[in-house]
Amino acid sequence: MKIIFLGTASGAGKTTVTALYCRYLSRKGVSVSPFKAFNLSLNSFVTKEGCEIGMGQAFQAWVSGVEPSGDMNPALLKPSGGGVMQLVVNGKAQNDVSSDNPMDSKAVLIEACKAFDRLSERYDAVVCEGSGSPAELNLMDRDIANIGLMRERGVPAILVGDIGRGGVFAALYGTWLLMPEDVRPLLKGFIINRFRGDPSILWEAVERISDMTGMRFLGMIPHMDLKFPEEDSLSDMGGKLEGPTVMDAFISNADSLLGSAEEYGLDLKAIEEISSA
Amino acid sequence: MDNITKKVREEIERGWIGPDGSCPYHPCHFSGQDCTFCYCPFYPCLDEDLGQTLKSKRGSDIWDCSYCLFIHRQEVGKFVMSEIKDREITEPKDPRMKDILKEAKARYHKKGRSLMVLGATSDAGKSIAVAAICRILHKRGFLVAPFKSQNMSLNSKVTRRGFEIAMIQTIQSKAAGLKNPDQYMNPILLKPKGDTVSQVTVEGKPYGDYNVKDYYEKFVPGPGAGIVRRNAEFLKGRYDFVVMEGAGSPAEINIYDRDIANIGAAKIAGAPCILIVNVEWGGAFAYAAGTVKLIPEEDRGLIKGIILNNIRGDISRMATGAKELERILGIPVIGMIPHIDLQLPLEDSEALRGMKSMGGGNMKISVIRLPRISNFTDLDPLYMEDASVRFVTEPEELEGTGAIIIPGTKNTISDLIWLKEKGLDRAIKGMKGKVPILGLCGGYQMMGRSLEDPNGLEGPYPGTFEGLGLFDNVTRWDEYKKRTIQDEGILIKTGEPVTGYEIHMGNSEVNEDPLFKIERFTGDEAEGSIREDEMLFGTYLHGVLEKPSFRRFFLSFVKEGKDVLSASPPKDYDDLIEENIERLAVSFEENMDMERIMKILEGGP
Repeated sequence: MKIIFLGTASGAGKTTVTALYCRYLSRKGVSVSPFKAFNLSLNSFVTKEGCEIGMGQAFQAWVSGVEPSGDMNPALLKPSGGGVMQLVVNGKAQNDVSSDNPMDSKAVLIEACKAFDRLSERYDAVVCEGSGSPAELNLMDRDIANIGLMRERGVPAILVGDIGRGGVFAALYGTWLLMPEDVRPLLKGFIINRFRGDPSILWEAVERISDMTGMRFLGMIPHMDLKFPEEDSLSDMGGKLEGPTVMDAFISNADSLLGSAEEYGLDLKAIEEISSA
Repeated sequence: MDNITKKVREEIERGWIGPDGSCPYHPCHFSGQDCTFCYCPFYPCLDEDLGQTLKSKRGSDIWDCSYCLFIHRQEVGKFVMSEIKDREITEPKDPRMKDILKEAKARYHKKGRSLMVLGATSDAGKSIAVAAICRILHKRGFLVAPFKSQNMSLNSKVTRRGFEIAMIQTIQSKAAGLKNPDQYMNPILLKPKGDTVSQVTVEGKPYGDYNVKDYYEKFVPGPGAGIVRRNAEFLKGRYDFVVMEGAGSPAEINIYDRDIANIGAAKIAGAPCILIVNVEWGGAFAYAAGTVKLIPEEDRGLIKGIILNNIRGDISRMATGAKELERILGIPVIGMIPHIDLQLPLEDSEALRGMKSMGGGNMKISVIRLPRISNFTDLDPLYMEDASVRFVTEPEELEGTGAIIIPGTKNTISDLIWLKEKGLDRAIKGMKGKVPILGLCGGYQMMGRSLEDPNGLEGPYPGTFEGLGLFDNVTRWDEYKKRTIQDEGILIKTGEPVTGYEIHMGNSEVNEDPLFKIERFTGDEAEGSIREDEMLFGTYLHGVLEKPSFRRFFLSFVKEGKDVLSASPPKDYDDLIEENIERLAVSFEENMDMERIMKILEGGP
């Protein structure tokens, strides 16, 4: 099984939704690993084997009931200030990159695909998270974590849109529209995140988006005041985080949110079908 | 009447003077106004384009032209005076005056044009773009008004005539160089009372409570569109340009046909649109493309340009994407605006959500984060001082604080109940005499001995509620009546000037020393409460921290506050807003194709 959750923007909720699906599969007894081909983040975690990976993937590994490993986030870019970033590949600092000395994204993509393949051999399911928005017209040709991985490994995708800021239908439709034609058919469904209020006012609109794009509507995730790891400080949403350890607290938050999402009708069965296809 | 005639006769004798900087009230309408005719030589012109007939209390007709700016346009003042001199008119009653008005109108009175700024999301930058465009047009010598047909916000302000409109339109009006914002600039204001119900304010006065469903099914198809039309037309009749702001996203396809805030308002006002997108969160191209493409084809042509806003770092890295977006949509990208750190009031509670603290200064101020907090822009001037503001919801968070502020709320009694449930009432009372405590509006009401709501107008159920007892005051809600009024006066302790405005239901019987003396035409009024020895302060006045007088007086009670304050000179919040508007306008003018916007305003592609 393989699947990727893409976000219409940073902070749309990819990390959390990826974790929820990991949690769902692992509770069903499926052996599952999270994966993010490429991360731009200052929040990193060091695995037992001594590899540096994004904090989000560590969290997703915990809720999957597996030990975080370097393969789960094979490439990490850490801003070190002054336009310079440190590139971490396979858990080890490799070199500094900047606008004068850009990253070789083709080479990084190749490494990322190898890590993806290693995880696919070890686990029944690899649940991937995209990075930022996949529809950045100025970056598309260098994309690694979204279009890059999808194209190389034929990973079906689910789009996550954040309704909190407004314009969620535009974001979902626009992202679909701007995807390169060869990749667009891999967009199989969409989820609306951070919903509050009465969901019935949206049915007609989600149906229209479905008709226009062919993507299935997979449900809504309610807004809850819970803290989850975020890609970057920009999308810090605040929220509750309580437990003996950060790990316990994140797992308990994931369980609460998964429960509520199921009540709101998040169609996890359909997501399973998409990831098994 | 005779008095006016006499004044006009004097004006004619004096001749053209242009703007009169020596007048203490200058500019009373807009900066750059012509003051030749402080009293209009055409009064009463009875021209419906310029004024309206009102009924006096005694039932007689009065010609009201208090919103007319025509005679204060420099070109008009100059033209009228030169015609008067050419024709050797000395008497205002001269029948030839009518010909001069006719001629002046033919030359200078034309219907204003409008432009709508739509945003792909909330916080896309609509408000600041409208403020920037208003300022740029104002500096080019045009008369400009901001307009937001429908605003959902808890931050409102009272106009000089006692009407309530959203705070942000008052800032935009300032950007347009206008002295006073009016209710026309935000004719529909929705003030959320709970998760689904809002108090709807129409043309500055409360209209009724609506839930989301009734608002879209009853209010919008009923009076809604007419209200938008009436007010947009009013402004277009008096200003060269009306710069409109949309609300949220225009592509909410579930309510598209009932929208009177975005494309709906643009169509009513005949306004071409530009779309602004916040780049910071990523996905900006998708948001832009999706927004345009979800707008029905017949309306899509209204969108004449796209602005990419809030770009951090090198702007040029967006260029290839912008080109591609233009190719896909056939709409030009007319601006790429860098991120600017602005100190302008926040628009709505979305921006406050999740925020724990602001500022990083030495004086630690705790603001009780009431669930229904409103007018929290009252606190913004604190950031001009060496202070840090922390929003607290738990009693233990008050430990070590230097001062406590209980802010305004949309519902005093419900939030008082919350305060008690949290144990914050005991915590606040425990700090009495140790740190200064300030209650603003609803927070001030809570500080009293008792709150009486016999008909359940304010709270969830009727009853009498025990207040914090910091003041011996009693507040009652006897009728569904809202007080909206501007206030000017002095801080009694120091004699320094204070300004503010009141927006509240309920009236207080005050048994304390007054904090302020408010000056009104009808005489002086006592306002607020003070117990200096216990460091307790309370007032109904919103915006009271904007002037340094009371702000610094209050902060001087913070431990070591006096030393901290003496390290920096006092600043007026108004000046800070003005500086920010100016910086904003400069940035937009540098990074946006203003000539293109002028063409769009004139009806070009």
